[in-house]
Formats: sequence, structure tokens, C-alpha cells
Amino acid sequence: MSKSIARAVRREMHSSRAILSGVAAVTVTIIAVYCLLESALRALDQPPWLADPLTAVQRLADLPAGMPTPLLGVLGAVAALIGLIFFLNAVLPGKRARHVIADDRIAVVADDEVIASALARSARLAAGVTQEQVLVVISRRTVLVNVRPTSGIPIDETSVLTAVQQEVESMALEPQPEVRINLAATGVIGV
Amino acid sequence: MNGTPRVLNRVLLALLGLLFLGSGALLIALATVPAVGRWWQDRAKPATAEFAGLAARTILPGRSNSWIWIVVSLALVLLIIAMVAWVANQGKGRTDILADEYGDEDDDGAAGRVVISGAVAEQALKSALSERTDLLAATVATYALRGQPALRVRVLPRQGVSPHKLAAEVSALVQALDVVTGLRTPVLLSIGSGARTRFTKAERVG
Repeated sequence: MSKSIARAVRREMHSSRAILSGVAAVTVTIIAVYCLLESALRALDQPPWLADPLTAVQRLADLPAGMPTPLLGVLGAVAALIGLIFFLNAVLPGKRARHVIADDRIAVVADDEVIASALARSARLAAGVTQEQVLVVISRRTVLVNVRPTSGIPIDETSVLTAVQQEVESMALEPQPEVRINLAATGVIGV
Repeated sequence: MNGTPRVLNRVLLALLGLLFLGSGALLIALATVPAVGRWWQDRAKPATAEFAGLAARTILPGRSNSWIWIVVSLALVLLIIAMVAWVANQGKGRTDILADEYGDEDDDGAAGRVVISGAVAEQALKSALSERTDLLAATVATYALRGQPALRVRVLPRQGVSPHKLAAEVSALVQALDVVTGLRTPVLLSIGSGARTRFTKAERVG
């Protein structure tokens, strides 16, 4: 696999933050367009639309006087919340729930949801239960298969484990997760 | 795969985040702590007075306003242009040329130039993939990876389809395409899920 495609795979495993960047850019643009309007009106000797910029700056300097305290607090909280969302999105790794599948010719990246539904199917076939009785949870390093047996019909845990493990191994995932089976103590009826 | 400027995204988001966080925290402090209010007024009032004085001193001859507002307007125009450029850079990197090569007479007897459109690979793979019943959707797009063309295949399989078997079959399709075009284009296959896969019935065969 060439270097550039390896880089593309690495990028595919992380969020690009494109949508939030668009939101941030639009937010800044709206604020800037309004400020531009007021300052251009001032520069062209026209009356202000909502507030004269110099008066606005002076009222800002007068805070907290001239504004109800609860409103000020709420505005501050909203601004701080938006700032926190932007900042955390910038700093957190933003790993996507995906795994790399090994292949000789092409680079393959699969969503964990797809892997989970394939593993759920093999677990369901091995256990002989319906789709609704199997729940697979995948994280980077572990695969947890929750099976609720049909009441009165025992399930062989090792055969389910073997089936799921075989499927995981044949997928050749990177990183390779560890499989755990969780058989529910209570069964379900009417399936 | 695309050329979204990810580092820039994160840097700008961090800067904007800190800006919003700082001003929000200041507003909350102004609303709740009287001491902060006094500190703020002590700082901001002289600065505002100075700014107003500057605006009064820089009034253009023959007009009633300062040129400061023209400078502020220009700065805001630049900021808006920068924001539009930032948005325009998201998701770029598509190309429509799969191969562009010059051949000479030693090659195959004739000199000339061969250009293969990206649509060749896109249409071929897409039509091969659209025949499959285990896929709900398939998109193929050509991107320029560091100047070199590369294909990105995105498929949405039904629930329960084994991703590695799907990958092996797409790999075989790509190898067939390699034989046709005589190139080894880098290919990235992305196997995904979406709302459509969740609400359609699973493949029950097998």
C-alpha cells in the first residue's frame, strides 16, 4: 500500500471537523456582516441601523450596568457553551468507529456498525435464535456479543464464540478485537 | 481522502472556541461577581474614551466621520473573505482525470498522448456494484491524492453482509479494472452504514 493511500486511510479513521468548521465560519460571517453594515453606515455618514458602533462599544464598557443581570448571565453561558463545543472538537482526537480490513490490492475501511451486524448474523446462525435476540457491541479492542436464548432451549456458548471468532479472524481487522460472549440468564418467550 | 484542511480546521476551531469561551466566561463573571464588574469598568472605560478621542481626531476634512470606520470596514471585508475561503476549502480534491500519459514510438509503435477520464473507472465500478442486491447504494469518485489520481468507493451494504467478503469482491472488480486500464490506481473502499441500512430488511440468505 502506497504512502498516500495509507495517509488517506488514516484520515478516513478520524473526523475531518468539516461540518463544525462550516458552522463556525457561517457564525463568524454573520457577526462580521452585521458589524460591517454598521461600520459602513458610519463611514458613509448614514444613520445607524440598530446601534451606532461607538455607542455599542461604550455600552459594552459600561457592563454590567445597563443590562439585566440574568440576561447577561444567560448570554455568557450560551457563548461559553458554544466556545466549549468548538474547543473540544478542536482538541479531542475525533476517532471514528471504524476498523481497517486487510486486503492485498485495495485499502478497506469498514464502519463498526457493518462489522457488528455481520458478527450478529454469524452469532445468530450459530445460536439458532432470531435477529432480535442478539446484540453486538464493538469498540476498538473488544467485541461483546449479547445473546438472549429462547426460553427452554439452551445455547452452547463455545459454539457461538467459535463462530464469531472465526468471522472476526477472517475479517483480518486492524486492530484485532477480542471476542466476549454474554449469555443472558433469562430467556425470552414468544419468538 | 479529500483535501479538507484538517489541521487548519482544528486550529481555527480552537481559536474561535477560546474566544467564545473567554467572552462567555467574562459575561458570566460580570453578571455574578461585582468585583469583576468594577475591574472591567476601570479597564474598559478609559480604553473606550481613548478610542472615541481617536475617532474624533481622525475625522476626514470635509466629512463628519473618521477614516477609522473605513479601516474597520475593510478589515471586516477581509475577515468575511477569509471565512468564505475556509468553507470553500472543505471537501475539495476531486478530479476528473484517471490517467494522463505520453507514449512514444518505442512504447507501442505510435507517439501520442492518452488521457483517461475518471468517469471510465467510476462508471465501470458503479455499474458492476449496482447489480448487487446486497448493496443499497454505491458511489465511486476520483480524487487527487498528492497529485496522483485515486478512487474512493463508498458502499452501503444491507445488514448482516460480511464486510471482508464484500471487500474481496470489490478487490476482484478493481483488479479487473486494472487489467482494462493497464494502471494500478490506488483505491480506498469505505464500507458504511446509514439510516437506509437500518430500516431495510436484512439479507436472510446463507
